Order: sequence, then C-alpha cells, then structure tokens
Amino acid sequence: MSQINIENQIGEAEAVNTVGTGASEEISHESTLYAEPIGHIGNFTITNSVFTTWIVVLIVLVVTLAIKIKAKKIPKGIQNGFEIIIEGAMNLADQVTGSKKITAKVFPLAFSIFIFVLISNWLGILPLGGFGLIETTEHGKAFIPFIRSGTADINTTLALGIMSVIGANIFGILSIGVWKMFNKYVNVNAFGEMIRKVRKEPAILISAPIMFFVGVLELIGEFAKIASLSFRLFGNVFAGEVLLMSMSAILAYGLPLPFMGLELFVGFIQAFIFSILTLVYFTIAAQDHDEHEEHNEKDKSTHKEQALV
Amino acid sequence: MDSFISTFHIDWKILIAQAINFGLVFLLIYFFALKPIKKIMKERTDSIEGGLTDAVKNAELLKKTKNEYEEVLANARIEANTIFQEGKKEAEDKKRVMIEDANKEIGEMIEKGKKSLESEKTKMIEEAKNEIVSLVVKATEKLLESHKDASFDEKTLEQIKKM
Repeated sequence: MSQINIENQIGEAEAVNTVGTGASEEISHESTLYAEPIGHIGNFTITNSVFTTWIVVLIVLVVTLAIKIKAKKIPKGIQNGFEIIIEGAMNLADQVTGSKKITAKVFPLAFSIFIFVLISNWLGILPLGGFGLIETTEHGKAFIPFIRSGTADINTTLALGIMSVIGANIFGILSIGVWKMFNKYVNVNAFGEMIRKVRKEPAILISAPIMFFVGVLELIGEFAKIASLSFRLFGNVFAGEVLLMSMSAILAYGLPLPFMGLELFVGFIQAFIFSILTLVYFTIAAQDHDEHEEHNEKDKSTHKEQALV
Repeated sequence: MDSFISTFHIDWKILIAQAINFGLVFLLIYFFALKPIKKIMKERTDSIEGGLTDAVKNAELLKKTKNEYEEVLANARIEANTIFQEGKKEAEDKKRVMIEDANKEIGEMIEKGKKSLESEKTKMIEEAKNEIVSLVVKATEKLLESHKDASFDEKTLEQIKKM
C-alpha cells in the first residue's frame, strides 16, 4: 500500500482542525485503500465516502426537486438540458438493449447509476481534500479528509455491483420465468434433452454435460460480474485520487490541473461503463436462450429452403 | 477472504448504507425527474402528434370539401345545361309546333282564299257568261230586228249555233 505524505496540505488541514493540535507535530496523510471514519452514529461508523454519498443524495435531491417544481410543457433553461440528456441517453439505451420495452423498464435504474457514480466520482476530484479532521493515532497525527469519492470505497462499488447483478437476475426471472432462469445456471434441460435425443443424436452425450458445465460457468460468471464491476470502478477512481494527490505532492499549483481534467473524463467514462454494463446485463438476463437458439435454427432452415428454391 | 475483507475494510453496514443511499438517489431521480419529465415529454409529443394528425385531417377535410364543392358545381353545371337544353328543346318544339300551326293556318287560309277565289271566279264566269248570253241575246235581238229576212235568219242562226 502506498503511503503519501502531503506536506503542503498540512497547513490547510490545521486550518480546518477544530480540535486544535498544535503546529509543532508533523501531520501525515495516508492515501488508504479504504474509506476513513469521520464519525459515529451509535454502532454505525460514518466514513468519508459515506459522507460524500450523502452529499450526492443532497445534490440529487436539490436538482431533481428543482426539475420537478420548474418542469413545464414548454421547456426552459435546465429542463431543456435535462430533456436533451434524457432523450440522448434513452436513444443510446435503445441501441444497447435493442428493445424499447426493455429500455423503458431498465433505463431509470441505469440512468440513476450513471448519475450516482458520476457525481460521486467528480466530488472526489473537487479540491476539497483540505477540509477534514486531524486524528491522533499510534503512528502520530493523521489527517482524514471529509470528502472521499464514494466510489473510491469498495463498499460502495460492491453494493452497486451486487445490486446491478441481483437486479439483472430478478429482471430475468420476471421476463423469462424462474425455470428458464434456473436452467441458465443449473442446466437440467440439457440432461433431459440428452435422454430424449440420445438415440437420434449420440453426440449429445458429450454436448449435454458441456452445456451443464457452461451453466455452472454462467453462475460463476455472475460473481465475476460483481467483482469486475466493483473493482473496475473502485480501481479507476482510487487510482485517480492517488494520482491527483501525487501530482499535488510534486507541485500543488498548476500541475494537478490537467490531471483533474483527465480524472473528470475518467469519472465520466467509468460512470458510463458501469451504467452501460448494467443495461447489457439486464438485456442478457431478459433473453431466452432456447428461443434464441430455436430462432437461429429456424433462420438456418429458412435460408436452406431459400437456397434450394 | 478474511484478509480481503480486512484489506478493503468491507463492512456490511456501510455496504447496506451505500445501497440505501443509491436507492434514495434512484427514487429521487425516478419520481422527481424522470417520471415528470417523461410525462411532460409524452404530453408534448402527443400534442404535437395530435396537431399533426389534426392538420392532416383538416387537409383531408379541405380536400374532400373542395372535391364535394367541385362535384356539386359540376353537377349544377350539368343540371343547368340539361335544363337549358331541355328548355331549348321545348322552345324549339314549341316554335316548330307554332310554325307548323301557322303554316297549317296559312295553308288553310290560302286554301280558303283559293276556294273563295275559285268560287268568285266561277261566279264571275257564270255572271260573265250570263252577261254574255244576255248580251248575245240582246245583240241577236237587235240584229234580228235590223235584218228581217229568212236567209239571213237561217245563216245567222247557224252562226249563232256555231258560236
């Protein structure tokens, strides 16, 4: 784990320290893999990432309330922009799902994920790292910033990843049914087919166990999806924060600016990727593999008939 | 697994808290932004589509009315023409009948005239004949009175007979 002491933030940190520690002792700031606690409510530890997420909720509350109050049939100002974003995003979602019906159901969730992740990512980039607490630890005094990007905490990204994957599976159950969804992971149908078709197609003795194993792989793949979604986002955002801190440590004035721009872009891209992947997972979950295969077989036979004609 | 959890400080309480936070964001975005905006956008689209449909309907109605007007106009023209032709034909028939009647009347009048002329002529001839006869008788009488011999009488009688 890398430990970065940022000397030039110490003065700023002392300025906001309400405890009053005295300037003689050196205050270190570690860039940790985990979110640092800044308070407690009963048993619940409030970390800086949770605090930042509350700010995200507050920002969303203010903006959405403003939209709700000011929304009119003839749009003006912010509503115009919001409508353009919604329309563009819905068209993009349509292209991903390939179905307006699925888009109508999944879009609110994917859009919410995008907004939540985007604001969380961008809040971490804001130069508010100087505001925080100075805590006395066994290694000395340590500076804990109030603001840490919500997505720079694995708890947040893991929660989002789990919600996305579980949501996709629930959506799949609602779309194609429990039995078909169950067969995706535990392919009982493959064995049934094997018993029925073994005389006609002996090769099914090999393909059916493979199909069953593919189902197990699919099940493992669901956990891989959670891991890939959460660690990709966490890794990118955390690395961005470390990069910005490193640049600030080298030269606090000017140097971090291009990297901030880069991180704004990375934050946008990561939010975009997360929401698009969620859309893709939901779309895949809503597709019936058997119907898809039957459709393909029909297409093939039609093509053959046409070729014969 | 334990080292993973301890390294990343995975805390199920924070995990749930962040899930709740996201749930709040989702609810806020869905109920305060997406739903009303989508409703407004749908209403606007509906009103625009309704306007366009109405415009198409109005254009169709206008076209239909124009066609009807032209049809009515054409029918009126045909009807007027028919009435005119019928009137013309009737007038011509009447004219022809009148001319025929007039011709007939004229013919009758001419015939009548001719007849009366003929009768007048016959009458006149008769009268002239009578006059002539009386004149001849008178002249013969006078002649007989002036030439009172037998030969003459016979000769004269013969001449008179020849006449």
